[in-house]
Amino acid sequence: MMGRRLSNPELDVIRERRFQPGRGARGRGAVGVALAVAGLLAAAIAFGRSSPRFAEGAPPPSAAHLPSPAHLPAPGEAAQQGRALPMHEFYFTRMAYSGGGGGFRRWRRQSWAIDYPKSDRQFLIVLERLTGLDMFLEEHPRLLTDEHLNRFPFLYAVEVGSMSMTPEEVAALRDFLLRGGFLVVDDFWGTYEWQNFEYEMQKVFPEYPIVDVPLEHEIFHNFYDIEEIIQVPNVGNGVRGWATHERDGYEPFVKGIFDEKGRLMVIVNWNTDLGDAWEWAENPYYPLKYSTYAYQMGVNFIIYAMSH
Amino acid sequence: MLTRLFEFLFKYRPVVFQEGDFSLGVAGPVAAGAIAAGLVGLLALLTYRGVRGKTRPMDRLVLGGLRFAGLAVLAFCLLRPALVVSTVVPQQNFVGVLLDDSRSMEIQDFGDQPRSSFLQRNFGTPDAPVVSALSDRFAVRFFRFSSRTERIDDVAEMSFTGSRTRLGPALERARSELASVPLSGLVVVTDGADNSGEELTEALMPLQAQGIPVYTVGVGGESFERDIQVSRADPPRTVLTGSSVVVDVVVTHSGYEGETVSLIVEDEGQIVSTEEVELPDEGQPVTVPVRFTASTTGARAYTFRVPVDEDEQVTRNNSQTALVSVEDRREKILYFEGEPRYEVGFLGRAVEDDDNLQLVVLQRTAENKFLRLNVDDGEELQGGFPDTRAELFSYRSLVLGTVEASFFTGDQLQMIADFVDKRGGSLLALGGRNSFARGGYAGTPVADVLPVVFSEGDARPDGYHTFVKLEPTPAGLGFPALQLADTEEESEARWPELPFLLTYNPLHRVKPGATTLLRGVAEDLPEEHVALAFQRYGAGKSLSLAVQDTWVWQMQLPLEDTTHETFWRQLLRWLVDGVPDQVTAEVPRDRVEPGESVAFTAIVNDSTYLGMSNSIVEATVTTPLGEEIELRMDWAVDSGAGEYSADFVPSEEGLHTLTVRAYDGEDLIGVDEAYFQVAPQRSEYFDAGARMPLLERIADETGGISYTPETVAALPEDIRVTGAGVTLVEEMDLWDMPILLLLLLALIMGEWGYRRVRGLV
Repeated sequence: MMGRRLSNPELDVIRERRFQPGRGARGRGAVGVALAVAGLLAAAIAFGRSSPRFAEGAPPPSAAHLPSPAHLPAPGEAAQQGRALPMHEFYFTRMAYSGGGGGFRRWRRQSWAIDYPKSDRQFLIVLERLTGLDMFLEEHPRLLTDEHLNRFPFLYAVEVGSMSMTPEEVAALRDFLLRGGFLVVDDFWGTYEWQNFEYEMQKVFPEYPIVDVPLEHEIFHNFYDIEEIIQVPNVGNGVRGWATHERDGYEPFVKGIFDEKGRLMVIVNWNTDLGDAWEWAENPYYPLKYSTYAYQMGVNFIIYAMSH
Repeated sequence: MLTRLFEFLFKYRPVVFQEGDFSLGVAGPVAAGAIAAGLVGLLALLTYRGVRGKTRPMDRLVLGGLRFAGLAVLAFCLLRPALVVSTVVPQQNFVGVLLDDSRSMEIQDFGDQPRSSFLQRNFGTPDAPVVSALSDRFAVRFFRFSSRTERIDDVAEMSFTGSRTRLGPALERARSELASVPLSGLVVVTDGADNSGEELTEALMPLQAQGIPVYTVGVGGESFERDIQVSRADPPRTVLTGSSVVVDVVVTHSGYEGETVSLIVEDEGQIVSTEEVELPDEGQPVTVPVRFTASTTGARAYTFRVPVDEDEQVTRNNSQTALVSVEDRREKILYFEGEPRYEVGFLGRAVEDDDNLQLVVLQRTAENKFLRLNVDDGEELQGGFPDTRAELFSYRSLVLGTVEASFFTGDQLQMIADFVDKRGGSLLALGGRNSFARGGYAGTPVADVLPVVFSEGDARPDGYHTFVKLEPTPAGLGFPALQLADTEEESEARWPELPFLLTYNPLHRVKPGATTLLRGVAEDLPEEHVALAFQRYGAGKSLSLAVQDTWVWQMQLPLEDTTHETFWRQLLRWLVDGVPDQVTAEVPRDRVEPGESVAFTAIVNDSTYLGMSNSIVEATVTTPLGEEIELRMDWAVDSGAGEYSADFVPSEEGLHTLTVRAYDGEDLIGVDEAYFQVAPQRSEYFDAGARMPLLERIADETGGISYTPETVAALPEDIRVTGAGVTLVEEMDLWDMPILLLLLLALIMGEWGYRRVRGLV
């Protein structure tokens, strides 16, 4: 019995992420570097010489960063390399979807990767400090069509105003959510982007509408008590003290998609940008109240995702 | 046969020789014997002294010896040998005859007649041979016995409808009733199929002390040629509605080796499960796990039966019926988790549709910060993990997630142990970063409760993990909570299809008495991992599930797959099954005979599950016709703390409900119900083969004799010689034993024949 070979491809894919060429050395130390760079960039923003949308400290992702099935080692290969890295309960998994500018595998940044990876890392550092959660402290993007996606029941998606999912991605997302996965949507603004997102989500869940999530809902009270929904501006607007909205997204909303049993599967942060607030929390010019609120919302989302 | 030959040759039965003392009828027997022997020897020598001619010395020796032996036999007879026996005085002694009046006497294995026909023939009328012979010598008193024993004047009163055979009380009753008269012995006519479960020694001791022999007459075959019996089926007394139930049913048979029969489970007449059973060699019982779902709420009578084959000798032992209380109530389980963890969410979802389970979650989300889910009100668990026994013991089960032992105070750790040990609750410990050895539980009271063995040294460093596939052990295959499909084969086939699970807690040994149900196997594990094990501990039970992420089943198996939900629903239901409330009503058997006394008991505990012996306990028996009979239950000094009892004799057939209410002063402590069926018992048809060894033991230990239908004719004479009571000494002559005449003739003919052969005539 004991001599039987049991290979677990899931194990391999999780470990494989830690051994991609050129990425293994990154860890907490890299955050400090990123923060230093971010400080410089923040100064540049203050002088209005750069657009915050394209001024993140991290390099733009490329296909090489994406653990698609084509990059997976053969079953057992990772184990042969003798790696026994810690496993974690929680992976902050960024949803990589099609659409959103320039084609999925091109060099230039796609919309799913906005604020990536600095936003993810900074959020995780604070999340670890605030909760007792055992987590992987690095960014963790996954294609919707990744065969191992269901190992990671939490997804974070941004800039869904230009999302254009393929039929395979639509099916994968539906399957993921119905099994018990949870999706946080963030950072899209105005009527046009809403319509695009709504159109895309109707492909995923024709039977479930997107509805308002009332402030009394548990997700606003399971860790922090969120008393009001505030509009979190992008870093450019935030540090300059300008109007907080973008385009015609004057009023922030937190909406959601519930299944027939009332379980919240998707939480939608529309006309607000929690990701920028996480990413620029260290910026002394970015108002603290927005970062605080964004972190509180993020913590509540994750606690809810893991307990429901 | 041998006994009859002996009696023919030696004139008396062997028992007379066993009981009697040998004596000679002339005075000075030793001297007379010596003189006679000398005279006989001399005479023999003289007769052959003058013989010469063709004879050789050897011829003379042989012929002299034969003549000597013949004359010695004659001399022995002349000395008037006799046996001195103590015999009972005719008509001055009593004999008690106990006749088995139970239903098993109607089994037709006395030839092709029922066992009772033997009894009727030999004991049924005053003219019957045995009765007649007994009456000539004794005053005979008849008793009939089954579940009760009573005097009868006429054997015609026998009905053979008794529900049980209780040999011990029958002997005791007859002995005490005849204690004031000279009693020669007791005769028991029975098949010996005692099914009382009572120890016989207690009843035999006074008989031994008073020297009263018991004569047993066994009737019936010790085994049947062709019979199938459903020997045992013990489902749980209570289950939650919709629970998957696995019952081990024991089937025995004779004459059906290798044949396949159907074992059918019926819920009040409706078939709920069928299993095909291949019967093993004769004498070997086969245990068949049958599974079904208890879907209808209330007291349900489940019948486990094998259809009757037309060749069977006993047809009424093919089924067993058991009452199961299927309860539609909500059981509270506390799940304490020490960190945010997906298992919480997925476990909660798995059982959220189960109306009978309330999974109250207390999750530590940060230092001193707790999330409460599914609580009844704002006050429940407000202070975090319970710090009083009353609060913790209000739950029926505790699921302990990954939380370090140092989180708890010493008293809380002891409280968790007491939750299982004293309260009778159930504990499920989950694997995780801070579970078992890694959580520092080695040496704590909680470790004592758990079914697995681990020590401080077993704690692996941070980062250690391994993936395992789960495989059920043979015990696990039959475990109710691990039934993933309708049949055992399908269920077994499901496990290899399940995804790998992660574990941080390699465990390799279980405690003595614990059972491994699931083992985890992986290529990099030097030993098998004990993934799921359980044991009973004190009044409760504990389980360890040393894996991290069963939620992977939900996320990775096909969407329509319900393995995760099924596993958790069944596991949590198994956890709460049988966990007692503060007040528990108990009926010793779920089927009693009309007119048979039933002793109810009730256990009453306070909120910390210490027995309360000063409460007021009221019982109400609701009969099938709706009549409510009030009873007061009392606590006796010699009973356990909080244990109350009352007796009840039902008269009406049908389902009765016992409702027990316990009060502390005027405050209601709790209410519990139990059920019992009043109906004729069928236990007489189970294990109904005659038990001759038991009857022989009774006879041996009391100085009596055991008989079969073939030898029973000697019973009256044997009692005369061996019985107790008023006796006199009687000499029984031996000189006229046929064996002596035959011996004498043989010696004379031998001598004559020898001479003919040697040509000496």
